[in-house]
Amino acid sequence: MIIQRRKLPSRLPMLALLLLLAWVMAACGTPPAPQPAGDAQTAAPAAPAEAAASLKEVPRNRTFKMMRGGVSGQHVDYELWNPYAIGSNHQNGANIMYEPLAFYSAFADKETMWLAESYEYNADATELTIKTRQGIKWSDGQPFSAEDVAFTFESLKELGAKVRWGVDVQQFVDSATAVDEKTVLVKFKVPAPRFFNLVSYKFDIGVYIVPKHIFEGQDWTTFKAFDIAKGWPVTTGPFKVVASSAEQKIYDRRDSWWAADQGLVHMPEMERIVQLPDAQEQQQAQALITNEIDMGFTLDPATFTTIFEQNPKITTHAGRKAPFGYLDWWPVSMYVNTSAPPFDNPDVRWALSLFINRPQVVEVGWSGANTVSRLPMPPYPPLKRYFDASEDLLKQYNTSEFNPDKANALLKKAGFTKNGEGKWMNAKGEPLKLDVFVPAFLNSMGLVVVQQLKEQGIEVNPSDPPDFNDRFTKGDYQAAFYGHGGSVNDPYFTLNLYTSSSKAVPGDHQANFSRWSNAEYDKIVDEVYVTPMNDYPKLEKLFHDAMAIWLPALPDIPLTELYHRIGYNETYWTNWPTAENPYVNGASWHLTFEMVLWNLKAVEK
Amino acid sequence: MRFNYIIRRIGFFLIIIWLAASVNFFLPRLSGQDPIREKLMREAMIGGATQTGMEQIIKTYEVKFGLNRPLYLQYFSYLGDVARGDFNYSIAHYPTRVIDMLRDALPWTVGLLSVSFLISFFVGTFLGALFGWPRTPRYIQWLFGPLLSLNAIPYFLLGLVMLYLFSFAVKWLPSGGGYERGTLPILNLKFLLDLAYHAILPALSILLAQIGGWALGMRAMMVTTQGEDYMIFADAKGLSERTLFLRYAMRNAILPQVTGMALVLGQLISGAVLVEVVFQYPGIGSLLWRAIRETDYFVVQGVVFFSIVTIGLATLLLDLLYPVLDPRISYEK
Amino acid sequence: MSSSRILPNAPIGKAAVFPAEGWARWRSLVRFLRRNPALVLGVVLLVLLFLFAVIGAYVTDPKDAQPLAARPLLKPSAAYPFGTDKLGRDLFATIIAGIPLTLRIGLLAGLIGLGTGTVLGFVSAYYGGWVDTIIRGVVDVGLTIPGLMVLIILAISFSGRLNVNNMALIVGLLAWLYPARVIRSQVLTLKQRPYIEVARLTGMSGLEIIFLELMPNLLPYLAASLVGAISSAILASIGLEALGLGPVDSPTLGMTIYWAILNGAVINRWWWWWAPPIVVISILFNGLYLLSMGLDEIANPRARRSL
Repeated sequence: MIIQRRKLPSRLPMLALLLLLAWVMAACGTPPAPQPAGDAQTAAPAAPAEAAASLKEVPRNRTFKMMRGGVSGQHVDYELWNPYAIGSNHQNGANIMYEPLAFYSAFADKETMWLAESYEYNADATELTIKTRQGIKWSDGQPFSAEDVAFTFESLKELGAKVRWGVDVQQFVDSATAVDEKTVLVKFKVPAPRFFNLVSYKFDIGVYIVPKHIFEGQDWTTFKAFDIAKGWPVTTGPFKVVASSAEQKIYDRRDSWWAADQGLVHMPEMERIVQLPDAQEQQQAQALITNEIDMGFTLDPATFTTIFEQNPKITTHAGRKAPFGYLDWWPVSMYVNTSAPPFDNPDVRWALSLFINRPQVVEVGWSGANTVSRLPMPPYPPLKRYFDASEDLLKQYNTSEFNPDKANALLKKAGFTKNGEGKWMNAKGEPLKLDVFVPAFLNSMGLVVVQQLKEQGIEVNPSDPPDFNDRFTKGDYQAAFYGHGGSVNDPYFTLNLYTSSSKAVPGDHQANFSRWSNAEYDKIVDEVYVTPMNDYPKLEKLFHDAMAIWLPALPDIPLTELYHRIGYNETYWTNWPTAENPYVNGASWHLTFEMVLWNLKAVEK
Repeated sequence: MRFNYIIRRIGFFLIIIWLAASVNFFLPRLSGQDPIREKLMREAMIGGATQTGMEQIIKTYEVKFGLNRPLYLQYFSYLGDVARGDFNYSIAHYPTRVIDMLRDALPWTVGLLSVSFLISFFVGTFLGALFGWPRTPRYIQWLFGPLLSLNAIPYFLLGLVMLYLFSFAVKWLPSGGGYERGTLPILNLKFLLDLAYHAILPALSILLAQIGGWALGMRAMMVTTQGEDYMIFADAKGLSERTLFLRYAMRNAILPQVTGMALVLGQLISGAVLVEVVFQYPGIGSLLWRAIRETDYFVVQGVVFFSIVTIGLATLLLDLLYPVLDPRISYEK
Repeated sequence: MSSSRILPNAPIGKAAVFPAEGWARWRSLVRFLRRNPALVLGVVLLVLLFLFAVIGAYVTDPKDAQPLAARPLLKPSAAYPFGTDKLGRDLFATIIAGIPLTLRIGLLAGLIGLGTGTVLGFVSAYYGGWVDTIIRGVVDVGLTIPGLMVLIILAISFSGRLNVNNMALIVGLLAWLYPARVIRSQVLTLKQRPYIEVARLTGMSGLEIIFLELMPNLLPYLAASLVGAISSAILASIGLEALGLGPVDSPTLGMTIYWAILNGAVINRWWWWWAPPIVVISILFNGLYLLSMGLDEIANPRARRSL
């Protein structure tokens, strides 16, 4: 019996050893399994280790390291360099590879013509003529021409809902043709005076121009456009992808680049960009403190105090002080589903708004590092005129007012009474309930608002459902904290968030989250749409008319702005975009990030 | 009888797989959630833009993932996929396949768990044996209380405390990740050391919490063993203390510990999910956490299914191996 | 998590612990307490925690557990013994409010688990046959499944409509497995005892036998199972909460930890935010752990010999 058992202790350590070995082997990256035949769009990329071996050495002071993308600390889309593929996200790297017809910086209110030299609409904005720049070459040496632009628009028109921007292009474009090698003629189905603005790069909006000789004949939804050996992805940008794996994406500067050759800008000073996957707040903060990275993504305001204490070289758009960043284009509101009682009554919505003490929301919910938002669009310089134009309305309908007495009166008018415990009851004797979604990333400000409303006698029930977005867009909600992806320079895009139907733009429609509708308002927005972007007096008047309907109705309740709080590390790189030097916004994930790369200066010469 | 037992155990295992697969399939769908819309909206939120034509795009996706078909058809094709070890695409990271994400994440979890599990088993068992041995010095006995106390604390809370102490208060150890960011995983000494360096804290939080449990069980068995006739006989024979302890007492006491492994495995994986989240260790726990936040059904299903099957398989193996280890066991029930 | 390891996998306790007849059993139990330090220590820890919560409830206002009750991020002081968090919750009040909430989840889930488990265990052992085969099969299968995984899927399906009671319900869904197994094996051994045979021969009905003869003998096992079920239910609920699947509006201990992690309390060294809930949870688990150890000692003579 005992002899039998003697085997046991010697077996287990062996097992342990085996497992340890398996761990090490596995951690060292099993080569990607061969792909099923139907999936094989490109040859399997070289194993990371192999690719790494062929990379040249680049000193740290010529390397730009940033964090962006990935799932739980690993890139997942590292083989995906076609920005149109389903599941592809330009934020994870394609934004610095594929170039646009033009860049637009809302901070500088400046359009920078890029692959296009100029553009012109005809009188009624049914045709757009784009002149492309001469002498540009794709990274594989093929010349760039008007053909590529026409091909991109035509393909998007054909693909429609299958790819990003497809519907946006399909709605307007009737045809896009290359008249000659430097002229594209775009004919529209309906007047489209904002089309060029739509396709130029700003924040997250813009159409990526892709090479016809690579993308032609491919299925855009699954094509990966990746093969380092062939020099793919092929783009016009200053960098090329030299390694891409779950651990990191590495881009090296190309030897020559058309924009530097033509003297538009200098060659970027970094010889290499290393893009690491996202890490959680604490790991990211540490990476900035230890100079491991030059740039992260947004952090909590409170974390900057900790970072500044430990690394004097870290700064932000606002310098080393609150709000530690710049104004994003995504002001946050409390959305209310206006399709169901009692919140279909504007008086009740206004009562909610008047119950909210916004300075306190900023002070506690954002640790003081934010500002109150008055309308659901950011007060960027080009939009200032529209705020000014509706100043009289904003006085009458003050969206930042904290006035419980006025709110109480409104609720009483709507048929509610306050009971002995200070709770609001409706005519049937039921409490006034508000179920509100608080997404985790807005938890601080959200819970402050929730508490303020509770203290005013409303029974508020906050929750954070995992399918928040699904229920929010379906209208299966009562209230929710969320932002607005609308205007940055022209009021149309924000106004359009609240329309329910459009005659000027037939076809599908953007989500109208608060489910509010007003035929008169829709008509005004349609008129805004056909008004040229630079006809300011008319736009200001129309905006004022629209606000005269919107403000009394208050479809959602504006609360605060959103700030991008990105840590910039000045140990190796300076000339970041800042409040004193606001050439563009700094987000590494936005389409304009290439502009930041041109501008950064190496500290060590 | 023995054959019957094996058949029954394998039958159980298959039932586990089928149950896990079905629960996995039906629960999220019964709640009426729409992962496609969720994914698109989330993307729109990250990007800030609300793309036009959302409804059309959603329909396109739903056809692509087969979510527009009747539920029972989806169920059968799902079972077919599962049988082939295919968990479809990740919704949030299309066109990455779930199985590839699992393949990337699994080695980390398996490595972390197996190493810390085995170390805790051996250390805990050995300490337990010492605790249960009457001639063990007093100062070693004192360890028992604290270890037992740690055993009662959830792994990830222990992890959180250690994270604070060792990587923020004193900066000795990295605060997370599987290896230094940006280094390429090439099999060389430097990388292996880095790997170990990053695994210390997460492994320690599992280890410290587990040792006490093993020690407790072993200690009880050691005490029991000491009353057995063969121990008295061996002692009378004048065998050395060392031989008595290792060859007689420990060897006989260790068997029930092995049975205990099967029960601990399930708890281990539940606990490790949270440890990985705390340390952002790139294993399936972190993967699961992100997938939950992204409502990525297929990934959640893949992870849950995979861990259930793995645990089921491990239990099956232990059950089948146990009679080999201990011939006294009979299968008649 | 803990009890499963204390109770060996094999059917427990082959000998009857106490003689069947009446009060002698309880007298021996009182005597036994003095030789059972784990039980005493466990009870002491839990009583201390209970007193802390009760006295705390007198000196704090539950409203202070809500945001905006105080200035945010104050370090512990005389006015705020545990400091305040980023949203101005008084953390002392939060912990005081959180203890009963967390315990409620544990107790509800534990009772659901014990109730279901006991019934199924009895049915399975007493009636045998195919009922037994199915129940035993489900238990065997269920116990090997990583519970948190199933709970995660369940919690997601609730889509944010989770409150403390739902949470208890979800966690309770898996809490019956272990009690069912323990009760079944105990009833199986007790069934063979002579006094049960005698009872049966004297014409007692099945229910009478269960309640008059079996139940009293099972009490220590039931108590140990309950404590085990409570502590694993609390563990599971804290796990779900830490993953962000808990009730947003309730200041349970797990949610306090979730908010602390979510808001970067570790990197920013706001130790007073996460340390108190961890300490309280540790005391709670240690108390339950020791209590279940102590109860096992009463229930299981082999374990008793070992301590």
